[in-house]
Amino acid sequence: MANSFLWRKLHSLSGIFPIGIFLVEHMFINSLAVKGETAFNQGVALLHSIPYLGALEFLIIFAPILFHALYGIWVVYLTRNNVLAYSYFRNWLFYVQRLTALITLVFIGWHVLILRFSSGQISFSVVAQALSNPVVMALYLIGLIATFVHFANGLWSFLVSWGITIGEGAQRKAAYVSTLVFVLLTVVGVNALLAFK
Amino acid sequence: MPKEITFRIKRSDNPQAASYWEEFKVPYFAKMNVVAALMEIQKNPVNAKGEETTPVAWDCNCLEEVCGACTMIINGTARQACSALVDNLEQPVRLAPLTKFPLIRDLVVDRRVMFANLRKVRAWIDIDGTHDMGPGPKISQKVQEAAYELSKCMTCGCCMEACPNVNSKSKFIGPAAIAQVDLVNSHPTGSLQKEARLEALMSEGGIADCGNAQNCVKACPKNIPLTRSIAKLNRETSTYAVKRWLGR
Amino acid sequence: MASKVIVVGGGLAGLMSAIKIAESGHKVDLFSLVPCKRSHSVCAQGGINAAVNTKGEGDSTWEHFDDTIYGGDFLANQPPVKNMIEAAPGIIYLMDRMGVTFNRTPEGFIDVRRLGGAKFSRTVFAGATTGQQLIYALDEQVRRYEDAGLVRRYEEWEFLSIVQDDEGRCRGIVVQDLKSLEVQVFPADAVIMATGGLGMIFGRSTNSTINTGSAAATLYQQGAIFANGEFIQIHPSAIPGRDKLRLMSESIRGDGGRVWVYKDGKPWYFLEEWYPAYGNMVPRDIATRAIFKVCVDMKLGVDGENKVYLDISHLDPKEINRKLAGVVDIYEKFVGDDPRQVPMQTFPAVHYSMGGLWVDYDQMTNIPGLFAAGECEYQYHGANRLGGNSLVAAIYAGTIAGPKAIEYALGLSKSSADLPPTLYQAAKTREDERTAAIFKMQGQENPYKLHQELGEWMLENVTVVRYNDRLQATDEKIQELMERYHQIGVGAGAAWGNQIVPFTRRLLPMLHLARVITLGALHRNESRGAHYKPDFPERDDENWLKTTKAEFAADGPHFSYEPVDIAYIKPRQRRYDVAKEVTMANA
Repeated sequence: MANSFLWRKLHSLSGIFPIGIFLVEHMFINSLAVKGETAFNQGVALLHSIPYLGALEFLIIFAPILFHALYGIWVVYLTRNNVLAYSYFRNWLFYVQRLTALITLVFIGWHVLILRFSSGQISFSVVAQALSNPVVMALYLIGLIATFVHFANGLWSFLVSWGITIGEGAQRKAAYVSTLVFVLLTVVGVNALLAFK
Repeated sequence: MPKEITFRIKRSDNPQAASYWEEFKVPYFAKMNVVAALMEIQKNPVNAKGEETTPVAWDCNCLEEVCGACTMIINGTARQACSALVDNLEQPVRLAPLTKFPLIRDLVVDRRVMFANLRKVRAWIDIDGTHDMGPGPKISQKVQEAAYELSKCMTCGCCMEACPNVNSKSKFIGPAAIAQVDLVNSHPTGSLQKEARLEALMSEGGIADCGNAQNCVKACPKNIPLTRSIAKLNRETSTYAVKRWLGR
Repeated sequence: MASKVIVVGGGLAGLMSAIKIAESGHKVDLFSLVPCKRSHSVCAQGGINAAVNTKGEGDSTWEHFDDTIYGGDFLANQPPVKNMIEAAPGIIYLMDRMGVTFNRTPEGFIDVRRLGGAKFSRTVFAGATTGQQLIYALDEQVRRYEDAGLVRRYEEWEFLSIVQDDEGRCRGIVVQDLKSLEVQVFPADAVIMATGGLGMIFGRSTNSTINTGSAAATLYQQGAIFANGEFIQIHPSAIPGRDKLRLMSESIRGDGGRVWVYKDGKPWYFLEEWYPAYGNMVPRDIATRAIFKVCVDMKLGVDGENKVYLDISHLDPKEINRKLAGVVDIYEKFVGDDPRQVPMQTFPAVHYSMGGLWVDYDQMTNIPGLFAAGECEYQYHGANRLGGNSLVAAIYAGTIAGPKAIEYALGLSKSSADLPPTLYQAAKTREDERTAAIFKMQGQENPYKLHQELGEWMLENVTVVRYNDRLQATDEKIQELMERYHQIGVGAGAAWGNQIVPFTRRLLPMLHLARVITLGALHRNESRGAHYKPDFPERDDENWLKTTKAEFAADGPHFSYEPVDIAYIKPRQRRYDVAKEVTMANA
């Protein structure tokens, strides 16, 4: 089984566990900003007090994202999109999934570069400083929404790929759920983003 | 209805030759389908410019959408030429060969890979022999009706053509063979060897390469619930993989 | 010793032959004009007959046998038919074990429906695409043997001719790859032909475009006897199309469909009135002639044309979907009306050839080592075939031809490997030269137009009713077409993927076979089964209870006649207005 089956399955899984879980957690912490600068900084400090942080960060965040991204590029490469000839809704989402994959990849790379590695200790003021540039703010909005689309649609796809939703009805209901997930994440995520001023 | 129907046909003399579009005008008649129009071109191989040309090569046998032979791209999407009634088509009617299979000539392609895929997944029931052993197992109407839907697959290639993950870069087996695994594995006797078929679907280019674009189920002229079979086998291959690993 | 057998044809009969051979451990090369899954067997809709008696109606193999002989107007040799009928239930069970998705009763047994010419429900079916389901099952079994290395498939290869040694035995075949048009020769110890029907000789029919009959016709030209060519079944219900006449299964009537036309402003169910004992379930030849009478003689056809209503609008739509979806879909797709709502309009169309290559009870032709099975041979249907009997005949013939071919091959004193290579080289050269000669044909005639002309004549004069003067004129027309054949132009297209050259090659044997059909009909001055002459309206057992045998000669077919083997059932008058009289097994 040392072939694409295993890698594809891990790819699908890694998008939800742990990356998706981390994304939700990340948005939750970001939302502390809504409660003010102090709350956010305390939250960040609490996170940074976790033991073995570096190892955990590597295992739960960086390594899975790196794998998901690199294998994802291969998956995107293997596709020949045909939305113009077969312009069905699902095919568009399939295309959008690949489009948002690339946007999300660039966004996360840039985000990590400017906020995790270049800015020293992260804090409310550091984030607010970065976001005060309207271009940065706009790019963040685009990046965030692309990430949420990718995650929510990926969740739907994960349910199919692991054989959890089989029938047409179940898949349709899962689509409603994934839409809801997208809306909630967008409301929470954008609300937090706008709180940094 | 116009008196003449214009057909723009993508032609190539052989796999190496450059392709070109040639236009033909065919006098309209009631209930004209694409096959009947191509037959008229055979009888009078003259293009729209009035030049003698070679007759267009294309595949067809049954002409009633059960053999799958005459599949081609008509106005952008893959379907059977026999059941494509000109009255329902945008004009000029554009005909091109399927793109996911090696080209032979004009509208003819080589779909052998689809039969090879059936062999790969062992889409047969391993009977002990053809000697008389009485009837097979009893089967409920419900199971039969679900199986019948799958057994109508005529390996026409529409699902392969529509699938963005089936292409020259990828090794993806495509939807048709996966549905046939569902068919055979859901048969009481067929299920006795189901692991072999699951393993075939878990090999390189197997079921996991599906990206859930779900064009296949829309493109299928026989309305085969392909995405259902794919999801079902996703479950079966996943649980089988986990169980196999845990049982080592 | 492993011996090599070749099967030509990938329909039901060919696939079953190949399976039987491979199962016995012998190697088989399987040649097919098209991928086997696209063979014409896929078009069979209604079902496959076997007296399984799952409805408790008291059906028996004897009843099935008697219906078949009676339905075939006593022209079939009875022993092989009896063997086939007795094997039929076993064939159903075998196909069932192979996973064919036969419709089921609520208890889970195989369901049966009624077809024409039978008083019992004995037609096993898979929706309305039974042939398709059967061939897919056999195709997969062959694939299994392919996987095991016993079968080699050559799909999209065309049979050109057989190779005969100096004793006249069949020793292999010459074939052409339809991609490159390259000619190759394949030695074998026995060859089984399962190349199907010949509907294309009539231009348009319910047959697939591949059913030209040219393989059988080529064998006829090579010395094989063609039997009962004049017996052509006209199916009562098809829908017209410029490219094809699409079959509307007899199972539509079997499941409750009614045939009618307007008379004096009211629906007139003429089959039910004329044939009270069988009603809409009369055999095909009877139904077709009744429709012809209503439309042509009485001028009561729908819109004044040769069309009648076939009505299922009174049936439960759920049952229609469960049992008839396949045909109803075809009607909707090609006509545009929903048969659940409006009565269908159908008309008769050429459907099946009861005649074919003459074979003995071992399925061997008069050429030693050359076997035939399926629609390309003549053995099981007499003068008219009952609906549902073709599928069982095709599969059954395969179960006989396969083992008999092996038995024959093993009995040979010299295998094909011991023969001089020059034999095969000569055969290849002959076909290479023929191919080259066709490429050189640059006259004014278009082969497709010639074919259309042949079809128009055959359809007009050699189908439902036949008159000697018109048959004579048709034969003269065919000879004229044979002359014009030499003026064909095939254009300047290259060999690769060329379709006009193979088509042109097929056309000449088709013309020869058209003469066999037409002249066979001309000579047979009686009416029997599908062969009907208004000038000779009665069956004439005294003079014509005989199998027609046509042999090729330079000046046209030579006919001889052989008595029919009536070992079990004495011929009696065939009528469907009253119940068939009871016969008994005398053994």
